[in-house]
Amino acid sequence: MTNIRPNAVRIDDHAARWATKLDLGSLSEAEEAALDHWLAQDPLHQGALLRAQAILVYLDRGRALAAGSAPVPQETGEEEPPAAPGRRRFLRFSGGAAAIAAGLGAIFVLPRLGREEIMTGIGEVRRVPLADGSVAVINTASRLAITLQPKQRAINLEEGEAWFQVAHDKSRPFIVAAGAVRVRAVGTAFAVRLRPEGADVLVTEGVVETWIEGRAGSRRLLRAGGRSYVAPGTDQAAIAVESSPQDIERALAWRGGEIVLDGQTVDYAVAELNRYNRQHIVIGDPSIGREPLIGYFRTSDPMKFAAAVAEMTGSHVVEKGDEILVSR
Amino acid sequence: MPGRWGLVKCRREIIDWVGSNIIPYERELRAWLRRRALPAQDIDDIIHDSYLCIAQLSDVGHIRNGRAYLFTTARSVMLRRVRRDRIVRIESLIEIDAMTLQDADPGPERHASARQELARIQRLVASLPDRCREIFYLRRMEGMPQRQIAKRLGVTEHIVEAQAARGLKLIMKAIAQEEGGAEHHQGMRYDEHPAKCRED
Repeated sequence: MTNIRPNAVRIDDHAARWATKLDLGSLSEAEEAALDHWLAQDPLHQGALLRAQAILVYLDRGRALAAGSAPVPQETGEEEPPAAPGRRRFLRFSGGAAAIAAGLGAIFVLPRLGREEIMTGIGEVRRVPLADGSVAVINTASRLAITLQPKQRAINLEEGEAWFQVAHDKSRPFIVAAGAVRVRAVGTAFAVRLRPEGADVLVTEGVVETWIEGRAGSRRLLRAGGRSYVAPGTDQAAIAVESSPQDIERALAWRGGEIVLDGQTVDYAVAELNRYNRQHIVIGDPSIGREPLIGYFRTSDPMKFAAAVAEMTGSHVVEKGDEILVSR
Repeated sequence: MPGRWGLVKCRREIIDWVGSNIIPYERELRAWLRRRALPAQDIDDIIHDSYLCIAQLSDVGHIRNGRAYLFTTARSVMLRRVRRDRIVRIESLIEIDAMTLQDADPGPERHASARQELARIQRLVASLPDRCREIFYLRRMEGMPQRQIAKRLGVTEHIVEAQAARGLKLIMKAIAQEEGGAEHHQGMRYDEHPAKCRED
């Protein structure tokens, strides 16, 4: 059997290349087809790809472990005080590439305690391992502040949306604040999206507790597969809880750089896509906006989506600077 | 949708879970397979096949012990290969069965300490060539987007991608060749149901 199969080193070379492209989000359409083709060639390729992607995750743990286990160099005074607010992550390493090349080991074990603020630009989806072993995947145009304290892990979602896979730690609840809405988890995975009037909470694993700060009787338990829209401005009865695992998987497809539509309207899809791009789609005719859609679209390619809608509705597309106009 | 995600790429939760709960133990599984005197190619195939089984899971929430799960999955992969190809040596088969009878708990004391694990990850990254390591660092530790890395280092985005892929390739190879692991396991307890694999 050993001679029939291309040698495993070659498989791993390909797997490394694909995993890197998936990680960087740099797959072109043609490459995506090539990836499908490669995966279909031999089932073992899928195993090799998972291994390569998981090794990247494993390496990310370095940062989390560094913060969790390295002694804190308190007496050196070189490290900034842990609670320097508003400090951006990348500024800490403004020493640049030379410093990185020179002292990777040293940089690697810098403790990441205190408050940390993370932002994403338009169209950027960023995966950030946290010091407690949890992982945050942060969607486009979002901002959040993370404060890891001995008694609790506090995340303030100031803008946008994020999904969290929470490392289990009973003694330190993980609490996400989105406006007046609170979501508490111990070890579980869930997403929170801040909306003008409240927040969407989607649970992918385990159980979370949601409530509205300062509002008695607003506590609800939400289980895996459940989603809830919590709006402080409305009365308690409006805290809708529904269970729809399929819907949640669909709603969180942004983590893979896609949006998935299953009967949603063109208007809905456009509002979603416009979150990810500077170039906005504008629907010139309300009747187009009401059309239901089914399909997968890359969040980074609004033009392709517009073209698909135009084809489906017999309309046409005009591109003008930052605008893609779809009209009859 | 599950079909598409299943084939094209694993779901994010599964990848994250494997990165934290399976990858740390691959070295141990490889060491065990090597002691069975299997040819290197067979070991690689068994490893890839085991990951394939895990890739096909729809959910990992029920798995409490990643290490036990990995060994159990590898065992069922081996048995299937034996049935199909009759290529695994007969001694290995006896070993596999003996393993199932033992009841040594993989237990918490087998877990590498966080410090050891960190040292291992540092070693893996530190062994990369300079340019690779810089790019790896900016991407993995800082989560910097490709474009920004290219700008920072004054290279093209193409180079960033090529170097990142090269770094990953080297680390994958290093993990496959690392010696040892938590060597003194007398066996494992099979308290996890193995991944249900494709039949062929």
